[in-house]
Amino acid sequence: MTISGDRSLARGSWLSAVFAAREAKLIAALLLICIGITLREPRFLTVSNLEQVVLSGTLVCIVALGQSLLILGRQIDLSVGAMVASSAFVSASWLAGHPDASLVYVFIIGTAVGLALGAGNALLAAGLRIPAIVATLGTLAIYRGGIIVYAGGQQISATILPDAYGDIASTRIAGQSPLVWIALVLTLLLGWLARNTRTGRNIYAIGSNTEGAEFAGIAVRRHIAYLFLLSGGLCGLTGVLWGARFGTVDAVIAPDLQLQTISAAVVGGVSIFGGSGSVYGAAIGAVIFVVLQNGVQLLGLDQFWIPALLGTAILATVIFYGQLTKRSDARLAARRKALLRREGRS
Amino acid sequence: MKVSSWLLRWESFLLLNLAATLVWGAQASEYFLTASNISIALAGMIPVALIAIPMTLIIITGEIDISVGSIVGLCASAMAICLEQHLPVEVAMVIGLAVGTLCGIFNGVIIVGFGLPSLVVTIGTLALYRGIAQIILKERGVNAFPGWYQQLGFGTIGPTPIPWSVLIFLVVFAGFGFFLHMTSGGRAIYAIGNNKEAARYSGIFVERAVLSVFVACGTVSAIAAIVLTAYLASARSDTGVGLELQVITAVVLGGVNIFGGSGSLIGVLFALFVLAFVKNVLGLIGMTPEQQDIVTGAVLVGTLIVFGAWRNYRDIKTFFARRRVG
Repeated sequence: MTISGDRSLARGSWLSAVFAAREAKLIAALLLICIGITLREPRFLTVSNLEQVVLSGTLVCIVALGQSLLILGRQIDLSVGAMVASSAFVSASWLAGHPDASLVYVFIIGTAVGLALGAGNALLAAGLRIPAIVATLGTLAIYRGGIIVYAGGQQISATILPDAYGDIASTRIAGQSPLVWIALVLTLLLGWLARNTRTGRNIYAIGSNTEGAEFAGIAVRRHIAYLFLLSGGLCGLTGVLWGARFGTVDAVIAPDLQLQTISAAVVGGVSIFGGSGSVYGAAIGAVIFVVLQNGVQLLGLDQFWIPALLGTAILATVIFYGQLTKRSDARLAARRKALLRREGRS
Repeated sequence: MKVSSWLLRWESFLLLNLAATLVWGAQASEYFLTASNISIALAGMIPVALIAIPMTLIIITGEIDISVGSIVGLCASAMAICLEQHLPVEVAMVIGLAVGTLCGIFNGVIIVGFGLPSLVVTIGTLALYRGIAQIILKERGVNAFPGWYQQLGFGTIGPTPIPWSVLIFLVVFAGFGFFLHMTSGGRAIYAIGNNKEAARYSGIFVERAVLSVFVACGTVSAIAAIVLTAYLASARSDTGVGLELQVITAVVLGGVNIFGGSGSLIGVLFALFVLAFVKNVLGLIGMTPEQQDIVTGAVLVGTLIVFGAWRNYRDIKTFFARRRVG
């Protein structure tokens, strides 16, 4: 098993380690896609277009962080879209009722909703040891149905929300929307935590070999509970930002978010078997998706082409990584064989 | 087999569940136990029920197919294109079946050929197949289906209240049931799910078996597409969106281990009955589809809790036993 971020594997200089990292290849792929789109349609490189691309990437990116950490720990969360919708609707409707209240409360309410729903997932998956994929399949139906019933077909539009709420997305700090900065800080923070803290390494260990981790004295269920809580909290935060970005909120927003985030993680090199990959990769994966989507629109292709292209991209990357893993496994096996032979001789 | 161990089987629990649902339905509405209502309840469930059969086999081998809803959409779109070209509906059906089978082959070849996890591959084809359906049919809806075709959806056999689609389901169910529970090929499916490597060393052609279940799933999804378009009397590119969730819910509720290796088609059949009647009763007492979804999700989570509690109970007992010793 290769664990990206394992320093012992990165031999040689600091520079060669950077080039060897999977993230470097991902960024190269991203640049290639960007160059390809630009050659066909120079409008891609205009500041206003790039701003739009980055802005649409942020929301998927934040949710993909939690999703990728879950996948690293051999879990999965299918209920993210429903959690984002719940948080967005509950916080926006509260704000519509209290237009003079401080925006801090909106963030607290949204994140609390996300955390509570995440706690539900944690209870099922970690507490009752129900496989994550079926547990979150059930909560997906419950959360989405719950918020649709709660909303009763209502839609909260920007006109009844205070302007300050929308300003969260539209103001600029150092030339970028605060959304972009939030996503960037969260990516760097979570990526660093996952690689450099004990809890983070434990999550990699759980993903590589759950039983082994348990025998090594890691509190597996507690870590899994943390992961689901984190995913819920990030979804809650995203819900609040979603309302700020789009202005209009109803109960059926973000229907495909689970697929988008899982795809972002997979394209970003996170192994679906857990234990391998990085949070940074998932964030880059999310950006690749948004760039592809934007490219389709710019090149004047039909909207209908987007899912087919995304599907092809997912298949191409998993096949590519599959071949890559196979080759590195074979190389490891050969090295082990050579080592054994040498030991036998001495 | 001892009576107590038979009672503790998952299928018995589901039967109890089913009986409770029937009693509850009869209490809730006087229309529930009428022949026409039961016929409606069953006919509405058939597309999900059909796909649940091969999905059971796929999950028992330890794989999963998320793309079934999209296969249904692509088959429906292909048939719609045929009808738009004024081809006879029989030709459209054959083409639909061929498209479904091809989708299954494509899934299977990528999963087996490259040795990739089926979850990711079918997430990819979920987007791909739906995308192709949208590209070929755009936003059009086609409803030029002849009358006899629509009979496949909810028409009943002669004077009996049994829908034609139930007959199709029973044929498919019997075929797969015989294969899974009475042939060596079926035992091989369980063996693969329990331990792929051991199965390979026992001389089972693992790759061939996995490929076949995915192809079978594609073909049956095409049959489901025919039944669903007949039931809705229309074909669109978004036909069957979200079907995979209902199918997997039914299979898991039927007691099939999501990690493979165990489960039975009888359990899945009971689960399908439970789901069909629960939905029907909820509709009769005036719940909206969204509220029905909550209940379906709660049923899934609730049964899993019961399922999990069984295992946890043992753990808790050993935990306390250890405490007493220490």
